[in-house]
Order: sequence, then structure tokens, then C-alpha cells
Amino acid sequence: MRLTLDTYAGLQSPLHRWWPRAKLVGLGLLILGFASVQTLQLIPLCLLVTIVLYGLSGLPWSFLRSRLRYPGLFLLGMVIALPLLSGSTLLWQWGPFAIRQEGLLAMGLITGRFLSIVTLGMLLLGTTPLLTLIDTLVSLGLPPLLAEMALLSYRYLFDMADQLDVLRQAMCLRGFQPRGNRRSWHQLAAVMGTLLVRSYEQSERVYKAMRLRGYGHGRRQSPQLRGWGQPVDLAATGLCATISLILIGLQVWFAVPSP
Amino acid sequence: MHIPDGFVPPQLCIVGYGLSGLVTWHCLRQVNRQADPAAQMPKAALLAAAFFVASSIQIPLPPMSLHLVLNGLLGAVLGYYAFLAILIGLFFQALFLGHGGLSTLGVNAIIIGVPALVGHGVFQLRRWLPRSLTPAIRYGVSGFLAGAIGMALGVTFFISLLIFAVPVGFDVATERAALLTLGIAHGPLVIVEGVFTALLVTFLQRTKPELLNGLVTLSPKDHPQGSAMGVSGDRLCD
Repeated sequence: MRLTLDTYAGLQSPLHRWWPRAKLVGLGLLILGFASVQTLQLIPLCLLVTIVLYGLSGLPWSFLRSRLRYPGLFLLGMVIALPLLSGSTLLWQWGPFAIRQEGLLAMGLITGRFLSIVTLGMLLLGTTPLLTLIDTLVSLGLPPLLAEMALLSYRYLFDMADQLDVLRQAMCLRGFQPRGNRRSWHQLAAVMGTLLVRSYEQSERVYKAMRLRGYGHGRRQSPQLRGWGQPVDLAATGLCATISLILIGLQVWFAVPSP
Repeated sequence: MHIPDGFVPPQLCIVGYGLSGLVTWHCLRQVNRQADPAAQMPKAALLAAAFFVASSIQIPLPPMSLHLVLNGLLGAVLGYYAFLAILIGLFFQALFLGHGGLSTLGVNAIIIGVPALVGHGVFQLRRWLPRSLTPAIRYGVSGFLAGAIGMALGVTFFISLLIFAVPVGFDVATERAALLTLGIAHGPLVIVEGVFTALLVTFLQRTKPELLNGLVTLSPKDHPQGSAMGVSGDRLCD
């Protein structure tokens, strides 16, 4: 399981230097603008903005490819049937199989939006360390309890994954072969249960350690995350907001029927 | 059972964020009413991580294998923390695996999280089952129902959203066929989720019964012997 995302967060690029709060709001607005696109003609614009931003970020293209592989396959599984089933205008037919125009357009629209939004999400998380991102969310109003839960879960996710690997290895060494029978299910349930029991016992130790270190007596926020950065950071956020508004405006313009 | 980015209209994404914000607010309010909410937070966080990892285990169901969602079990074990844990789990899934999405985080939290809260309610059924039944049967039955109902509700939300919110222009016959196919395809999943939740709940009831207490801090008035951690397993089970 790949549980790291901010491998390239230490690079130096305009997107890496963009103030986290301003970046989160700017890219969030851009995601909202992309999500509002319902017309295929606007998809190239979304993809162009995404490519320019990705190029500016300095992140390697292999990173994007590797991250898009799994969600891309998932999306393909969901939209592949659209050209075959949706719509009435036939473009091509061979026996019972027919490609329909409306379905093909819907597939293009959904795929374009998906690629743009997912890439923006990766840009946000690939150029900002996760801990900084969660601190930024707290500074923007995320409840502290939720943030603490997220940070602690993130910290112990790696431990849990390691524990599961050890359990799997132990089962393999004892000759366990997963089959669809009752015995096999019982054993898999025992593995999951063991993981939960171990995590619960570990959580009690963690809580005592945290309490000893003063947990529960207020938390200071990192001063780095106050404010909105330099004027250039705010200008970048403003640019994103403008692009988003233009997309929404164009969408409304396309949606209004011409007289 | 996750809706990816770009699949649903923005209005739905905003409604999803609004609704999940409301549910989060309600859950945080319930959590803050406990005697010491900070004491339960590390448990909820570590269990959330464990659930995230456990849901990656492949369950063989010939001729294929599947992953469990475990939302019913999350509800049974974590109580009101379940929705918060699911929100965090979905956030990490969107980041690490590209499963779900950032714009659809709210919608997915409703699809999986609300059934988990329902699962928490259903799991309380064990208190109403006849005392003549053994704890294993009471926990097994209520666990099965929590897991199966949690999953069935989640599947219903998911299919309804796919059919009614994705503007793809299916005709009525195709829409009905798609609905039927999706329903039939997810049917075995509901049963498997219920069976696995029952197996896990009975395992936990035998080995660590306090885990099934819903992370509720019991006040000394309710349990004169001490806190939840000090209460014996037998007492929690019966």
C-alpha cells in the first residue's frame, strides 16, 4: 500500500513557495470551477490550466502517471459503458454493439473533469507537506479534534500497515491459503480482529504518553500559518478565483438557449 | 462504493459538503458531551487507522475476491466517532489511493458515514435480545444486522446517486436494467459484510469486549468499580 504522497514536497517551485492558506483556497476555488463545467467545449480550457499549473510545480510526470493509474482504471470501469448505452444518435454500429454520440460526449466530459480535478488535488498535496496542510485546514476552521484525529491516524497508518504485513507473513508461514470457505473466513476475521485489538491496546499506551507530555492543555498554532502570505500569493489566489468565475460564467452562457 | 471526482454536478458536491458538515457538527457535539472526550480521541484515531488498513484485506468469494467497507462495524465499535473516522479515512483514501475524490468527499462521507451511524443504532439491538441467548449469539445477530444494514443503506445511497444524479441520458429501460444489475451485483456484498461483521464482533466479544462499548466513557456513577477500562468483560457482554 502506498501511504506517502508528499515525497516531492521539499522541491522549490512557484507552487511549492505559494503560501499554504492561499494555495488551499486558490486551488479549492479552481476545483469548484472545474466541477461546475457541464459542457465539453470547456474541458480543453480546464486541461490547459491544469497542465500549466503542473508544469509550474516541477513535479515529475511519472508521479502523475503513477498516481492516476488506479483511479483511472476505476473511472474507466465506470464510464466505459456510456457510449454503448447512453443516447440515441448512432455513430457506428456492428451487430448488437453501437457507439452513441451522447454517451461518447458524456464520457469525454466526465473523464476531462476527472483528470483536471484529480491532478489539481495531487498538485495541492504533492507540493504541501500533509502536516502543513492539516494545520492550514485548522487555521481555516477545521475542528481541532478532527485535525488531531487525522494527524494521529496518519502517524499510525504506517504502523498498522506494517503490523498487517507481519500478520500476513505469519499466516503464510503457517500454510494459510485464502479460500472462500468458512474456515478461511474465520481466520481472516481473526486477523482483522487482532489488528483492531492491537491498535486499541496501543492507543491506550499512546494516550498515556500524550497525557504525560501535556496533551489536553491547549495547543499552540504554528505562526507560519497565520495570514495570507505575500501579495504575490494573494494575486495567485485571485487569478485562480478569476479563472473559476470565468468557467462558471461561460458555463451559464452555454446553458442559456440562444434566441 | 466511492464516487470519483468529476462524476456528479457541483451542486451535489456542495450539498454533500453541507450535509456532512452538519453530521460532523452533530457527532462532535455528542462526543464533547462525554466526560473526557480527549481520552477517547487517540483510541478513535488508532482504530480509524486500523479500519483503514483492515479494509484493504481481500476476502475470497469464488470466483473473485472483494474488499470490505466495514462501515457497520465502525459504527458498532466507534459510535459517534465513526462518522469522523470515516471522513478522515475517505480523505486519506482520496490522497493515497485516488479512491473517491476531494470534491466528492462530502458526498462519499454521507454514503458511507450515515449508514455507519445507523449501524451503531442497530448494534444496540443486542441489549434488547432475550438474555436467555448466549452473548455470542446476541452479538453475532446484532453484528450481522449492523454490518448488512450499514452496507445495504450505503449501496442504496450510492446507486440512487449514480442513477439520478449523473446526467447521462439513459432511457427508462436501460436505467431500470442498470439499477437491477447494480442491485444484484451488490447483493452478495451486503451478505458478506454482514457475515464478516458478525465474525469480527464475536471475536472482539471473546477477546476484548470493552472495544464494543462504543468508545463511551462510563461515569463512576454508572459503574462504581471504576471507568470503562476497569469494567470486566463479562459485565460488558451481559
